Amino acid sequence: MTKPLIEIDHLVKKFGDNTVLNDISETINQGDVIVVIGASGGGKSTFLRSLNLLNKPTSGKIAFEGTDITGLSEKELDQVREKMGMVFQQFNLFPNMTVLENIKLAPMKVKNATDAEATAQALALLKQVGLEDKAEAYPASLSGGQMQRVAIARALAMSPDVMLFDEPTSALDPEMVGEVLKVMQDLAKSGMTMIVVTHEMGFAHEVADQVWFMDQGVIAEKGTPEQIFSAPKEERTKDFLSKVLAQ
Amino acid sequence: MKKKWMRWLTALLVLLSFLGFSGINHVQAADDSLQKVKDKGVLVMGTSPDYPPYEFLVNDGGKNTTVGIDISIAKQIAKDMGVKLQIKSMDFDSLLVGLQTGKVDMVISAMTPTRERKQSVDFSELYYTAEQSIIVNKADAKLYKDKDSFVGKKIGVQTGSLQADLAKEQMSSSPQLGLAKYTDLVLALKSHKVEGIVAEEPVALTYVQHDPDLALINGKFTLDPSENGQAIGFAKGATTLVAAANKSIDKIKKQGLIKQYMTEAADKMTTNTTDTSMIHYWKYFAKGIGYTLLITAISVVIGVILGTLLALMRLGKNKLLHALAVAYIEFVRGTPLMIQVMFVYFGLGIFLDIPALLAGIIAVALNSGAYVAEIIRSGIESIPVGQTEAARSLGLSQKQTMQSVVFPQALKNIWPALGNEFISLIKESSIASIIGVTDLIYQLKVVQTATYKGVQPIIVAMVIYFVLTFGLSKILGYFEKRMKHDEATH
Ligand SMILES: Nc1ncnc2c1ncn2[C@@H]1O[C@H](COP(=O)(O)OP(=O)(O)OP(=O)(O)O)[C@@H](O)[C@H]1O
Ligand SMILES: [Mg+2]
Repeated sequence: MTKPLIEIDHLVKKFGDNTVLNDISETINQGDVIVVIGASGGGKSTFLRSLNLLNKPTSGKIAFEGTDITGLSEKELDQVREKMGMVFQQFNLFPNMTVLENIKLAPMKVKNATDAEATAQALALLKQVGLEDKAEAYPASLSGGQMQRVAIARALAMSPDVMLFDEPTSALDPEMVGEVLKVMQDLAKSGMTMIVVTHEMGFAHEVADQVWFMDQGVIAEKGTPEQIFSAPKEERTKDFLSKVLAQ
Repeated sequence: MKKKWMRWLTALLVLLSFLGFSGINHVQAADDSLQKVKDKGVLVMGTSPDYPPYEFLVNDGGKNTTVGIDISIAKQIAKDMGVKLQIKSMDFDSLLVGLQTGKVDMVISAMTPTRERKQSVDFSELYYTAEQSIIVNKADAKLYKDKDSFVGKKIGVQTGSLQADLAKEQMSSSPQLGLAKYTDLVLALKSHKVEGIVAEEPVALTYVQHDPDLALINGKFTLDPSENGQAIGFAKGATTLVAAANKSIDKIKKQGLIKQYMTEAADKMTTNTTDTSMIHYWKYFAKGIGYTLLITAISVVIGVILGTLLALMRLGKNKLLHALAVAYIEFVRGTPLMIQVMFVYFGLGIFLDIPALLAGIIAVALNSGAYVAEIIRSGIESIPVGQTEAARSLGLSQKQTMQSVVFPQALKNIWPALGNEFISLIKESSIASIIGVTDLIYQLKVVQTATYKGVQPIIVAMVIYFVLTFGLSKILGYFEKRMKHDEATH
């Protein structure tokens, strides 16, 4: 089954004179799990945020499920964004709402779900991420790992077609990384299309269909985890991997 | 008599004439001012009722009525014209602007037609010329004979008044203390900050009659007949109105009615002063509290709505709206509330007949909006951008993000600052009293003049203000705590 979900066509993003994404053309198929690695400042976050147009591309096109979304109005974009879940390094839970309210907000506001529907769905999602007992808690009372799992549940509540993860475990204490990766792994198994920026090489090895190495605004090298980790072709990929693995 | 705010008023008038609205001041070929009053059927009089026996307020069966010599004269003039009399109270300093902007048809407020004033308004002939007296403490009465006994002694005068000029010229070896109100001057006299107060005889008499500790001596000033006595002010060029008033004044003089008016005023004052306890005047204070709270409450609501709008305009992408919001906020924050109040009442008043209360509310609300806008902006900016990104990535629109995510959090952050703004509004709304809004400050002055007591009404008003602000801060604190409690860890 290789149906293209996202087609990126000559994507360029500049901040002033700084070219952060330099002419990227890639296709992401339905069910793909893609892990993006690369040095800091290489443009990984900018790339992810361009996909759901939190950053507006300077030029190029992005087709999502067959339609170009770069020219859409804000209103049409809102409808696209609900199909692209996003998980952030800093969780970005809403601190003034309980866990349950965090998850219910978008389904009720955007999809006009009833309170009962949204609650039932939220509780099911909480169960899926192993936090059904935290429904009434406020984010401030949760650990980092718990917060990130709530954030994943919150994104899933909109039943997205693709999930974007921007370094979901790098703000976590080491002992909490596992619980989040486990949730992501289960999600991948369920067939979710995922684009994950991470430096968790073990996760990449086990879960990724493809690993993209991003450097200076381009996808410098891509391949299966085996190809990238065991036999990188590019000099800069080797450099990067040796630095990461040395840590 | 007072020139305190004259600078502001002049600035306002200059601004208005600059904008091309000065037509109202121009002499018209055929003056129709009298005809206009007759057509309206109402003669509107402006006065500052804090100057017994000329004009003051009495509690007439629970209702505030303006009475005094000047009011009796005005009634006679209205009667002669065959129209009804309407009295508009305002601060003395605002009276001339009231004339020039058409808020009132005439001003009778024990006003001396000085050369300065004649430049901006027209006057009737003098209806009364009083002797100038000096009020002293009864215990010291033997020490002083006339103005020349005060060499080296400090004397009190009303700021900007005729008496202040007289004392400056003819008591040059007595240093002056200038205060705005006679009630305050009397306090200064009793505490020996001054040894005498220069006042015109009818005014001096009322204070001496109501206070056994005071005595009156004749100042024996040399008086210039052209700069002394009281006349009625009219807008420039209102020749027919002036003529009509002069006719009435002649009649009043011929029949010796002034003496009669004076006796009537004295009677009214005794009804006022039979019981001068503050409790007796609770209705005045209660009414003042009512207006103060009314202005504050409405201004808070409008201020928050306007402030939110301005903050969103300022934070938004539209350059024009952004510039408008910035200009508004900076301009309002860069000018005193007092001149804004006067601008709304007198300035906009040229086009719209805005009642004083409404003008006060509008000005205070417009002012508060600018401050609230800055508070809200800082609150919105204090919310991490990640919150917005998370909401937008879930498909929430910009508006929904603002409403459900950013605003509720911002509100909690700015609640204390917003609370301070509300509390200071209670106090700042007192500025509206200068255009005659009967708020707490205004009533404080009324009770001071009515009871000849300076300190007690101040204390009462101070306590009331404190109770209001302290109570409000407690209520706001309660809500703040509740919002915090919501998020407390379980
Ligand atoms: N909003 C912005 N305005 C200006 N420059 C930006 C902005 N966002 C990112 N950049 C610049 O774009 C470049 C790439 O940043 P990006 O965050 O995409 O890198 P990254 O690969 O995610 O790095 P990291 O591993 O540190 O997260 C950097 O030089 C950064 O300074
Ligand atoms: Mg990044």
